[in-house]
Amino acid sequence: MISPRFHYTASRLRSKLRFMITLLLLILLGLAIFGLNAYNKEPLYHSQSYVFGTLVDISIYGEPDARASILSNQILQDFQSLHHQLHAWKPTSENQTSELGALNHAFSQGKASVSISPQLAEMLTDATNFSVKSHGLFNPAIGHLINTWGFQRDEFGAVNIDDDKIKALVKSKPSMTDIVIKNNNAYSNNVSVKLDLGGYAKGYALDMAADYLRKQQVKNALINIGGNIVALGQHGKNPWRVGIQHPRQPSAIATLDLPDGWAIGSSGDYQRYFILNGKRYCHIIDPRTGYPVQHTQAVTVLISPQAHAGVLSDVASKPIFIEAAENKAQAAATFGIENWMVIDQKSNFLVSKAMAQKLHWLDTNVKFFTQP
Amino acid sequence: MLNFSHNLKLAVKSLRLGDWLIVAGSLIAIVYLFQILWSSEHATKVQIRLGDKVYATYTLNQQRDVHVHGPIGNAVISIAHGKARFSKSPCHNQYCVHQGWLTRAGQAAICLPNQISLELIGENKPYDSLNY
Amino acid sequence: MKRTKIQTTADDHRIAKLAAFAIALHMIEAVIPSPIPGVKPGIANIVTLYVLTQYGFATAAWVSILRVFASSLLLGQFLSPTFALSLGGAVLSLMMLWLAMHLPKKYFSIVSLSILAAFAHIAGQLMIVRLWLIPHASVSYLIPIFAIAALFFGLINGLITAKLIYNKASNKPEMPPL
Repeated sequence: MISPRFHYTASRLRSKLRFMITLLLLILLGLAIFGLNAYNKEPLYHSQSYVFGTLVDISIYGEPDARASILSNQILQDFQSLHHQLHAWKPTSENQTSELGALNHAFSQGKASVSISPQLAEMLTDATNFSVKSHGLFNPAIGHLINTWGFQRDEFGAVNIDDDKIKALVKSKPSMTDIVIKNNNAYSNNVSVKLDLGGYAKGYALDMAADYLRKQQVKNALINIGGNIVALGQHGKNPWRVGIQHPRQPSAIATLDLPDGWAIGSSGDYQRYFILNGKRYCHIIDPRTGYPVQHTQAVTVLISPQAHAGVLSDVASKPIFIEAAENKAQAAATFGIENWMVIDQKSNFLVSKAMAQKLHWLDTNVKFFTQP
Repeated sequence: MLNFSHNLKLAVKSLRLGDWLIVAGSLIAIVYLFQILWSSEHATKVQIRLGDKVYATYTLNQQRDVHVHGPIGNAVISIAHGKARFSKSPCHNQYCVHQGWLTRAGQAAICLPNQISLELIGENKPYDSLNY
Repeated sequence: MKRTKIQTTADDHRIAKLAAFAIALHMIEAVIPSPIPGVKPGIANIVTLYVLTQYGFATAAWVSILRVFASSLLLGQFLSPTFALSLGGAVLSLMMLWLAMHLPKKYFSIVSLSILAAFAHIAGQLMIVRLWLIPHASVSYLIPIFAIAALFFGLINGLITAKLIYNKASNKPEMPPL
């Protein structure tokens, strides 16, 4: 028989027990949350290297580290040889200039035709199409202008601005359409043409790397060459997420998800520039005036999945950057780009409607205007 | 040992309903604090890379200068109370030094000529890669 | 020469004795190095809690503040950052105790008061750090660590105090246990 006294203590004990169990569960829950966060190592391979005179950052998800490392080394080697092939001012070795250097030399000598690789021929044809489409605002033929401003050097500084020389170079109208390519031979109708593929090569390399990884059956990767990024698959259960650099601060202004096949690229006056008498001179030169663009801080474009998305991410931001404010939206439309963002010299943000829906602002104080 | 476990039993017995509620509430609050304060925003470490290798990773909870010898010379990286920056660099343009203090996880400063980069690391990265 | 004798009451003596005890505990803790900087068990708070239950809030406040001032003088830290941290913690935990005293005693024992006071103590110290010592946000990621320590040591100190009160109550049955 159970005494009432015992009954009372038993029920008290039971309630104590309930509390102990609740407490234990809470502790376990807490530990589980931290445990999962801290110790669940992802199958994510990440490498950073310096190629192209810039930083190459490769993430591969879901492959064994050993394989991912071999694949990424192969990509880096391909980048390195592309870099040597296309370098606009550095000889590959003491007596040998790059393929592009040799071509530029031939252009400067007149109409003598030079044999070029099928790869370079394809690139030049492609770049010419983009140049025509952009009404000459994307113009890789203005190597002489870029050189005059001192940007064809690893270590550049303020230069003496030679107005007459700049005027003369603009007047000579170097254009991609001056170049004639036939059966992998090329010549130029204009001796002032000097190719600088600085605004094209990184995008080309991105496409090359993405194609290579797809061929190797890699499902998930994120490739970043000097800020231009292309995504393959996703990062585990979530899409790859990229941050967009603030043009004047060492931080990202916003993040966005980059789904499979999408690419993102930016042009900014903060990437290569010098300051002279308090004025900023950046490496993006308006071919119509011969002067660096000074009305814009940054342009970001988001490219939907398509062939050569990488190239488009590199090329398409330039005409938008160079165009005056009122023509920027039109310049984006020319390349069929719906997602773009412009930051002007007064740090005003202009964001296309489609882009505004994709951005997650990190700085919640950002005020931006949308444009349909 | 017997005395200790006896005391513990006594102690646990002496706890009242409200005491248990306070203990449970505190635990929930602590879990919550960890979740919000140890999430992406708060950087705890700085990773220094030289070329394609991780040179070193330091906790940000200290004050020190780190000297790194890159391809073109000696760079000085300063760490102070949750922040890090390039304070000296042999590079021509000094872009890396002009970046100033990095304070949030995911922020990075890169010195291309000297192939040195800094990145602040928190519990979660706010993004996988940076577009610039 | 005529000597004037300061009149002291039994209350003063009691405060002095208890404060001396608290100071001793404070000093012991000050010389034992802590594995995590800033995290200490705060055993001197046991005295504050005990005094609160036996002699009321005013005495507890006296003992606590006296302990902070005297210890810092003895350790040569008077008006130093360490002193400010100590005082900030003590003041906020006293404020918390004043509020928590009014909780129904049927459900909340001294252990609750101890835990709440420990949280208030750490909150006071963090406020001093944030406002005066290191005025930027980088200490915030330490808060959860401090909070765990506060819960743990608050619980232990509370249980020790409960045991002391229980012992005292069993020796002198006329004193009702809290």
